[in-house]
Amino acid sequence: SVPAASETTDLSHLINKLLAAGDADHKYVEFDFLINGQFLRMPLVTHMEMENISTEEVVEIEYVEKYMAPQPEECIFHDDWISSVQATEEWILTGCYDQTARIWSLEGKSIMTVAGHTEVVKDVAWVKQDSLSCLLLSASMDQTVLLWEWNVEKNKVKALHCCRGHAGSVDSIAVDCTRTKFCSGSWDKMLKIWSAVPTDEEDEMEEAANRPRKKQKTEQLGLTRTPLATLSGHTEAVSSVLWLDAEEVCSASWDHTIKLWDAETGDLKSTLTGNKVFNSVTYSPLCRRLASGSTDRHIRLWDPRSKDGSLVLLSLTSHTGWVTSVKWSPAHEHQLISGSLDNIVKLWDTRSCKAPLYDLAAHEDKVLCVDWTEAGLLLSGGADNKLYCYRYPATASDIGA
Amino acid sequence: LPPPPFLSSWHPGVRLLEMVKVKPLSAPLQDIRNTVGNIPMEWYQDFPHIGYNLDGKKIYKPIRNKDELDMFLEKMENPDYWRTVQDKMTGADIKLTDEQVELVQRLQKGQFGDVNFDPYEPAVDFFTHEVMIHPVTNRPADKRSFIPSLIEKEKVSKLVHAIKMGWIKPRKPKDDTPTYYDLWAHEDPNSILGRHKMHVPAPKMKLPGHEESYNPPPEYLLSEEEKLAWEQQEPAERKLNFVPQQFRCLRAVPAYPRFIHERFERCLDLYLCPRQRKMRVNVDPEDLIPKLPKPRDLQPFPTTQALVYHGHSSLVRCLSISPSGQWLVSGSDDGTVRFWEVCTARCMKTLPAGGVVKSVAWNPNPTICLVAICVEQSVLLVNPCLGDKLLYGATDQLLESYKAPEEERVQPVQWVTATTEEHGKGIRLVIQHSKALKQVTWHGKGDYFASVVSDNSNMQVLIHQTSKRWSQNPFRKSKGLVQCVLFHPIRPYFFVATQRYVRVYNLLKQELTKKLMTNCKWVSSMAIHPGGDNIICGSYDSKLAWFDLDLSTRPYQLLRHHKKALRSVAFHKRYPLFASGSDDGTVIVCHGMVYNDLLQNPLLVPVKVLKGHALTLDLGVLDVLFHPTQPWVFSSGADSTIRLYT
Repeated sequence: SVPAASETTDLSHLINKLLAAGDADHKYVEFDFLINGQFLRMPLVTHMEMENISTEEVVEIEYVEKYMAPQPEECIFHDDWISSVQATEEWILTGCYDQTARIWSLEGKSIMTVAGHTEVVKDVAWVKQDSLSCLLLSASMDQTVLLWEWNVEKNKVKALHCCRGHAGSVDSIAVDCTRTKFCSGSWDKMLKIWSAVPTDEEDEMEEAANRPRKKQKTEQLGLTRTPLATLSGHTEAVSSVLWLDAEEVCSASWDHTIKLWDAETGDLKSTLTGNKVFNSVTYSPLCRRLASGSTDRHIRLWDPRSKDGSLVLLSLTSHTGWVTSVKWSPAHEHQLISGSLDNIVKLWDTRSCKAPLYDLAAHEDKVLCVDWTEAGLLLSGGADNKLYCYRYPATASDIGA
Repeated sequence: LPPPPFLSSWHPGVRLLEMVKVKPLSAPLQDIRNTVGNIPMEWYQDFPHIGYNLDGKKIYKPIRNKDELDMFLEKMENPDYWRTVQDKMTGADIKLTDEQVELVQRLQKGQFGDVNFDPYEPAVDFFTHEVMIHPVTNRPADKRSFIPSLIEKEKVSKLVHAIKMGWIKPRKPKDDTPTYYDLWAHEDPNSILGRHKMHVPAPKMKLPGHEESYNPPPEYLLSEEEKLAWEQQEPAERKLNFVPQQFRCLRAVPAYPRFIHERFERCLDLYLCPRQRKMRVNVDPEDLIPKLPKPRDLQPFPTTQALVYHGHSSLVRCLSISPSGQWLVSGSDDGTVRFWEVCTARCMKTLPAGGVVKSVAWNPNPTICLVAICVEQSVLLVNPCLGDKLLYGATDQLLESYKAPEEERVQPVQWVTATTEEHGKGIRLVIQHSKALKQVTWHGKGDYFASVVSDNSNMQVLIHQTSKRWSQNPFRKSKGLVQCVLFHPIRPYFFVATQRYVRVYNLLKQELTKKLMTNCKWVSSMAIHPGGDNIICGSYDSKLAWFDLDLSTRPYQLLRHHKKALRSVAFHKRYPLFASGSDDGTVIVCHGMVYNDLLQNPLLVPVKVLKGHALTLDLGVLDVLFHPTQPWVFSSGADSTIRLYT
């Protein structure tokens, strides 16, 4: 038995003493404690009162090694607001309000500036990476998505295709797991699915009769590509899209709904209804949950397979502004990060929904995008023109019980 | 013969009746006899006769036809008048004899009628009270006196039999129920028992105070001026109905001259004063407040500040939003117009307008991308080149496709195509007015717009048509200083707000339809419900008037929730919300539900006070605006920021 007033540090000391007794060369480790899958964040007795756990029973406290705080690594300066970020093992791709997309090395060295859009770049995505050439996508407010080929050795980019068809700014793109298709969501309430395979042919496009030919020529950059399918059903702007698997697309919209679509047939499969505008949605294949950030302070977790409409599993509340961006950890089924208009990036564990694990308060202005790579790199960009990188050691080894 | 009536009524004694025997005096003259017997003689009162004789003839009563004078004469002249009585049985007059008179006199004295009767004779006992040795009779006792009676035995055996058969219960249990009962048991305890319950005690007299003392403290004594004032007052108005006086000692106090008068007045008070129990209605003040729904049941409405749009360097006077809700335009005193992305607060474009921007209006037609901007004396039509490329390209084409008419028309304003330099900035057309402009507003279709000039003439309001580049002045006369104008969203109505009135004109019939009395001193702003039947007016005397056009020309409700002047009011296009911005730096969002049912009045509930703007130069919020699709409200303030509340 332990004193009821003990906190995590006291418990941690206790465990360390026990471990040191068994193992002579034990080093001090800080632990975190879970009671029925909830992190202990206050004195034991208060927690048990809040969770209605009787003090008469034997309470099982699980201990795990405390997650290390994310270590700041780089701060990459941009010329303008950073609208989007996606990183791979080697490079970071950012979309910027100065109408360009940029490629950076992990060390923060600017490698390439991809210029070609006539308006703000709203989203970027990697399609394919080889040692020689990479394919990448950039979506912009100028209503197009550009498919670029980046020759790594020569360090040159070339616009392969100009995906035209949206009638509003393209706010979000997502590449499917086969890396042959991508989906885009736009302000014009449509989702469009495109092929991501570069070809030499140009798709025919119906010309608007009153459109001056001359003007069109100047806009053209790369071969025109038309969508494979158009998914319409949202009544407001689509703010975020993603692929759940090879056949299923998920979209979040300003009309307060998250919709799941069948990418093959283009049918609407189900709708999750919230009561606020959704800014961002993310899906974790590990825990099979959707997390959404909306224009209130909450991050909500959804079960996309649930049939009965809106089922919020959990609300994570600590932000004080709109949650602009959320991203699940690719390696850990309980963790996600979120960026908000209150200038703070928060690292969450779903087992502690009242308080985040860590607050990353480096930004001086609105946070607009966050990303989490498989290598354990946390990225966040915002309206202060800075992209912050954090190294987060993925200590998934839960010891003891 | 029945006794004489006066005697029978006087004494019922039998012996007297036998003694007084009236012998009729006139018997030899006339055979008047009573043949009817001792019956009430009143039965014959109305007949001339009493009974019948042996021959069956009527026996007539003596004729009595003497009048008062005859009676008097007879009384004077007849010496026997005093001893003459009327025999009621026969109706004849009888003169009493001396013996009869003496008998009457004896009886009147209470003496026995018989002179010879001695009431005091010595009494002789018939039976002695003393027990004698010899009985009166010596008869032996009867046998039945010592033998039980058979009849009794029979009766007893009958009773016994009845008891055996159970016909009679010999020892009947005694009924214990009390014989008395509660007279008022069934009385309603709440019923008012007349005067007892309604008794109202007389008001108590006021107890005497220090001023009534014979030796009051000096502060109670009236000074000379006070005394003079007291005398000049009406007696009913006086606070005291006497003048406090001071005496050396109680002995020196004179008799109170008004004592009787006052007692009399008190009595008058007590009985003339109509006293009635005051039926005090016990009403909970909470119940008098109309039942309003709780604000949290009226979600959604903006509650917190979400974004601040920084960029302007002076007060932001006006706001407008694109029909899609993606872009926001704001005009400021720093001479610029800025275009913002709503969801990130990013300033996308800045347009130097070259003067204070008083009003901006985004074209409500979603297929046209055009913004009207009021700068000093001209209205700029600007294509912001935001949103769908096809749309803003088409808008440019639409403006370029204009062909000037052959004959020159006289217009109150000048339409000027923008120069190339201006064209690069996005300006397409400039409409130059003669005076400084105040406001510009679009018609819902997006072709017509109206502009308001600060002027006092009839040229205050102008209506322009963009496609034909044609302006007209709809009013011949000036009706006052026009504050703002508004197009009806559906019908061809035009609202013109002057300082105190809102006039509603029918544009098709070209006539005044209605005149709304705002009950405000100075209207500052006006907004119309998307349904078109309700209007709100904000005023500089911090009132917000809601008009139901179907209901009345007076405000349906007047809200005074702001502390300072209202600068701007706005309706939401989809949600039942309206907002008002004021100089006190707050935006108040109200729920304003308009029902389709014409019988139900609109429901107005203030739901949220939104704070955030800092007061600058005594100015707070200058404009408020709702997002077209979301329950969000924008406010622009004198602190050169725009704020979004969600």
